[in-house]
Amino acid sequence: MFLMLLALVIFVLTYVLIITEWMNKMLAAMIGGFMIVVTGIMHQKEALMAVDWNVIFFLIGMMFVISVLKKTGVFMYMAIRTAKIAKGKPLWIMILMFLITAFLSAILGSVTTIMILVPIVLLICGELKIAPIPFIITMVIASNMGGAATMVGDPPNILIGSSTSYQFLDFLFNLTPPVMLITASSIGIIWLMYRHKMRVSNENRARLMSYREDSLIKDRPLLIRSGIVLLLMLTALAMQGTLGVETATISMSAGLLLLILSDRKKVEHVLMNDVDWVTIFFFIGLFMIVESLVKTGFIGMAAKQIIIATHGEPKAASMMILWLSGVFSAFIDNVPFVAAMIPMVKTMGTMINNPSAMHPIWWSLALGTCLGGNGTLIGASANIVAVGIANRNGFHISFKQFTIIGMIFTLNSLLISAIYILLRYF
Amino acid sequence: MESRILTREQVYENMMRKLCETHKHDLPICGMPLLEKILERDREASTAYPSGIAIPHIRLDGFQDTLISLCFMQNPLDFDGTMVSWVALIITDKSSSRLYLNIVAELLGLSKNQALMERLLRERDGVGIKHVIAKEGIRVSKDIFLSDIMISDPVVVHPDTTLKELNALMNTHNIAGFPVVDEKGRFKGEVNILNLLKVGVPDYLLMLENLAFLQSYEPLEKIFEQEESILVKDLMDKDVITLNSNASIIEAVYEMILHKKRYFSVVDQGQLKGVITAMDIFRKVIKA
Repeated sequence: MFLMLLALVIFVLTYVLIITEWMNKMLAAMIGGFMIVVTGIMHQKEALMAVDWNVIFFLIGMMFVISVLKKTGVFMYMAIRTAKIAKGKPLWIMILMFLITAFLSAILGSVTTIMILVPIVLLICGELKIAPIPFIITMVIASNMGGAATMVGDPPNILIGSSTSYQFLDFLFNLTPPVMLITASSIGIIWLMYRHKMRVSNENRARLMSYREDSLIKDRPLLIRSGIVLLLMLTALAMQGTLGVETATISMSAGLLLLILSDRKKVEHVLMNDVDWVTIFFFIGLFMIVESLVKTGFIGMAAKQIIIATHGEPKAASMMILWLSGVFSAFIDNVPFVAAMIPMVKTMGTMINNPSAMHPIWWSLALGTCLGGNGTLIGASANIVAVGIANRNGFHISFKQFTIIGMIFTLNSLLISAIYILLRYF
Repeated sequence: MESRILTREQVYENMMRKLCETHKHDLPICGMPLLEKILERDREASTAYPSGIAIPHIRLDGFQDTLISLCFMQNPLDFDGTMVSWVALIITDKSSSRLYLNIVAELLGLSKNQALMERLLRERDGVGIKHVIAKEGIRVSKDIFLSDIMISDPVVVHPDTTLKELNALMNTHNIAGFPVVDEKGRFKGEVNILNLLKVGVPDYLLMLENLAFLQSYEPLEKIFEQEESILVKDLMDKDVITLNSNASIIEAVYEMILHKKRYFSVVDQGQLKGVITAMDIFRKVIKA
């Protein structure tokens, strides 16, 4: 009991530090993780065993893949091509960018997509002389939606995928349909909100149309090879069940292969710049902290409370998890939230003791955490990254400004998710 | 001791004649060839130091000695923009660079000693000068510091200098970087040509992997539309590494190579003391 309280205190303190950003979140998570060991709640061996290395190496492998893909210039090519297909018309650019962002986020992850696309959109808006902030906000929203659609799109889904028996295709069958519905309806909202707002002169449009995006692809053989490796990786993920390999092995294989194919003697640069060690160690720390709550029995207690509150009804539990995670994820980083929720839902699974009844609960958790991230400026990593880029370029997005728009899309997303869960699983 | 106003060539010629009279048998070359060698060195790079001394140095093959010839001038002479009141010509063998550097350091130390300089300038002949210097008890083992070779009165700009004025300064002085100081001479940062160009290149462009698709970029071409309103403080680098005036030459070279920076502000306790460039070190120390 004393150890449980101690673990809970460390957990709460760490999460407060992460949420208030009083220090770097990785630093907070690592300190919390090792405090667990120092205070004797768990042995070092146990604490390190708690780290889900499948998630860690999956992330590193994906970072390798993306670092090579980025160099081919293909994403910039896509973005500029998109703006040209829209003939420089702002509303069309916004809608097409929304789709491209959602699509790329489903494959590359939301944060990476935002880091690649936001600078280009700032450039395009600058050339067209229109305000970029609505574009940035809608793209962030799209990235969190796209990320929710697949197992590899958003960190919460990676975590869920790794600690359950769900595979890439399960995510595709269960999450992609509702996300497509949500994306379509969101485009409707964009049309309603912005259709009369943006005007562009022909001269500025002409400047955009004069971009020579073809010259962005400097190394065509590398592009073709990376395309093939990416396809192989997605195929392997889809056939994971038959192949019998875990996701980390697949992404590391793809990543290492691409590194050999691109600059096999210069990996230091990739390790220094393209592997996001802050995220990696943040995850490691979180795994250790959350494990201490499992070991000391707190998670089991909390799971029991949820079962009691919902009378063990999967329907009520799903709705509760969906809305609870939607609201929580809007205000705290969804990664630490889902890291704590996963063992709780797992414990509920053993209590309910009916595997098929757990499906809607897991999918509710995935949809709630990923889509809830759109609720406020600080709901997901992609939001923070995008706002940071905008800020550095003199475009200040306030918490209120983001939240007003974000809330509209989040409510719409969660409502559609709730209807989907109720209709499909009950 | 010369009171007429002479040219540099005349000063060197006088010194050469005196040397050749007294050391005819030691010097491998004498007369016009020796003068030509001195002038050649002088044309390569300025020999003048901010404390008002010029130290031309020539190396002679097969000259197993070190010779120092001093010439004091009543009227300071303009050496490439630095007013020089005495010249110390040093002749060494091709291989004795360490001793030479120590002599330079010692001479620079002397040139900063105001009281001593006044006494030296009062002397009328070589014997008197020798006597004064001997009384100082000089031992040649002093090391060179940045304060000895830096530019001690660099062109500076202020945080409120406009882009237009900055541009004008770059043109007149033909230099690409300046230290930024406040009205009390406190060091605030540095500003250079890249900071100026950065005005037309927003952050997001730097985040793109490559810019091959762009033919031109309007904001870059229009930097100077805002030249009256943009101030140095908007674009200067605030976190710059500086050097202390008592830093050694190797320390300065180390920092220059480490940070790939060819130009350093010399700052003591927050006050700008001067600037040092890699070229200064190369010309005045290494190649000298």
